[in-house]
Amino acid sequence: MIEYGAIYPEIILILFAVAIPALHLLIKSSRALAGISLVGILASAGMVVYYMVGDYPAIIGDPSAPLIVFDALAAVFSLVFLSVALVVVLASARYVEKDRHLAEYYTLIMMSTAGMMLVASAQDLLTIYVGIEIASMATYALVAFRKKDKRGSEAAVKYVIVGGLSSALSLYGISLLYGITGTSSLAGINEVLAAQGVELTTLLALALLVAGFGFKIAIAPFHMWAPDVYEGAPTPVSAFLAAGSKKMGLVVMFKLFLVGLIAIQANWDVVLGIVAILTMTIGNVVALSQTNMKRMLAYSSVAQAGYMLMAIPLATVVGDYAITGGIFHIITHAFMKSGAFIVVAALAYVAIGESVADYKGLGKRAPFLAFSMAIFMFALAGIPPLSGFMSKVVLLSASVEAAEITQWMIWLGVALVLNSALSLYYYVRVIKYMYVEKGETEARIKVPIALTAAIAICMVATVALGLFFDPVLELCSEAARTLFPALG
Amino acid sequence: MIPIEYFLALSGILFVIGALGVLTKRNAIVVLMSVELMLNAANINFVAFSSYYGNLNGAVFALIAIAIAAAEVAVGLAIIMNLYKTRDTISLDEINLLRW
Repeated sequence: MIEYGAIYPEIILILFAVAIPALHLLIKSSRALAGISLVGILASAGMVVYYMVGDYPAIIGDPSAPLIVFDALAAVFSLVFLSVALVVVLASARYVEKDRHLAEYYTLIMMSTAGMMLVASAQDLLTIYVGIEIASMATYALVAFRKKDKRGSEAAVKYVIVGGLSSALSLYGISLLYGITGTSSLAGINEVLAAQGVELTTLLALALLVAGFGFKIAIAPFHMWAPDVYEGAPTPVSAFLAAGSKKMGLVVMFKLFLVGLIAIQANWDVVLGIVAILTMTIGNVVALSQTNMKRMLAYSSVAQAGYMLMAIPLATVVGDYAITGGIFHIITHAFMKSGAFIVVAALAYVAIGESVADYKGLGKRAPFLAFSMAIFMFALAGIPPLSGFMSKVVLLSASVEAAEITQWMIWLGVALVLNSALSLYYYVRVIKYMYVEKGETEARIKVPIALTAAIAICMVATVALGLFFDPVLELCSEAARTLFPALG
Repeated sequence: MIPIEYFLALSGILFVIGALGVLTKRNAIVVLMSVELMLNAANINFVAFSSYYGNLNGAVFALIAIAIAAAEVAVGLAIIMNLYKTRDTISLDEINLLRW
């Protein structure tokens, strides 16, 4: 008899996701459907919290080669994905109310969240692959949700082709790893690799995996699709992609490299370091010249992925401390980026364009939206005392600590600081447009309460995580330690 | 018994054909087909290694990968059809509303 406790949170979510299209026959209102989705998301989060305060459920699969383990890492990431889904559903309640196929929209968001949560608790390349595909397949359809929208359908085609290519590359890499080691369990792969060392095929598999998962996270040079897709997708979906889907790719990277491939770290730590620096620099430099808000936020999230990625090479030296920083940055970024996207969505709802120039004089027209956008921009740039600053501090101190042992790692910290300074330019430009420049009208803007609530949640989280970070850091550190079983 | 190198050569060739197709073809459906070739190259690897090691992990992986690939094609074709409805083309060169 197999105990399925480890996937109860996903099962709850999927039950609600399947029920919603059926309920749509009776309930037509978008707000009611969003309400039901919120109940499902909260129920699933309740299950996760129940496991966190009590005991973690039994693992699924053979204890020596587990398939699914719901541990502290899975719990923290599940909560991140669920809170992103929560704000996205809240923001969508009014945003999509005039569209057709409403029920499917909420179903797809919840299915995709379930896939991401499965990835967070997966310990075998098989379950990781299945989870990624569940999550991605749902987001392909979400990007194409507005079928009549020309930009949306173009973005969806680009996304589906790049997504398919990414899964083909990573699947081939996985098949080679299986061929080399004879197992698909992460721990098992590490054991065999530690014993037999590195061959040319291992390096080929490594390259394919970095490319495949790199496309998912949109790290340079595999990031070209991200701005197109984020711009073309419905804005709440862009928020979901940037804050949810990208984090799923990062948790895969954490597990793959620090659990599955740590034995051969000498072969990949420099490469990942260079990729991280490239990613943050390219993201920030290209973001400087963007005039479309969604595109600018897309490039900014490419850059932010670079900050999170640098935790992996650092972790080869300082262990769980670097990953604590990485996870903390993932949490803070989830709130500030989805918040920023939802402000764009709220403004689009009241027919204000997506270009930065359209935001002139917003400080007067919509004080709350302008203020929250300013908070998100400052947090993304890393201004104290907001949360984006705190998480960057942890990453920076990890890189300084790592540099004492491995000298080149100081460059990761240097790149982080220089890039933060560079990024300040385009973040502050938005604030300047909102507050300094005069708009054509001063008519006040009214935004629906659900959108305001979603923005408020993100804003409170962004501010609170910067001020009261101790308990969250504690959680992140507990989650990070699960990747390093030797530390206990 | 056929040596494992033969399977690896077959899958390697398939993978490269698929990758070249993705890079050079401009018709969205052909690109999707090329992606399928790459996925199937991986499946050949899984099945070949599975019989080589005598464990079933790889065979199970291949079965699941086939199911997932089928789902991916279903979603992909629907999206490409939607593109054709809105834009009257499925050529990747002609879809360029989004660019910097």
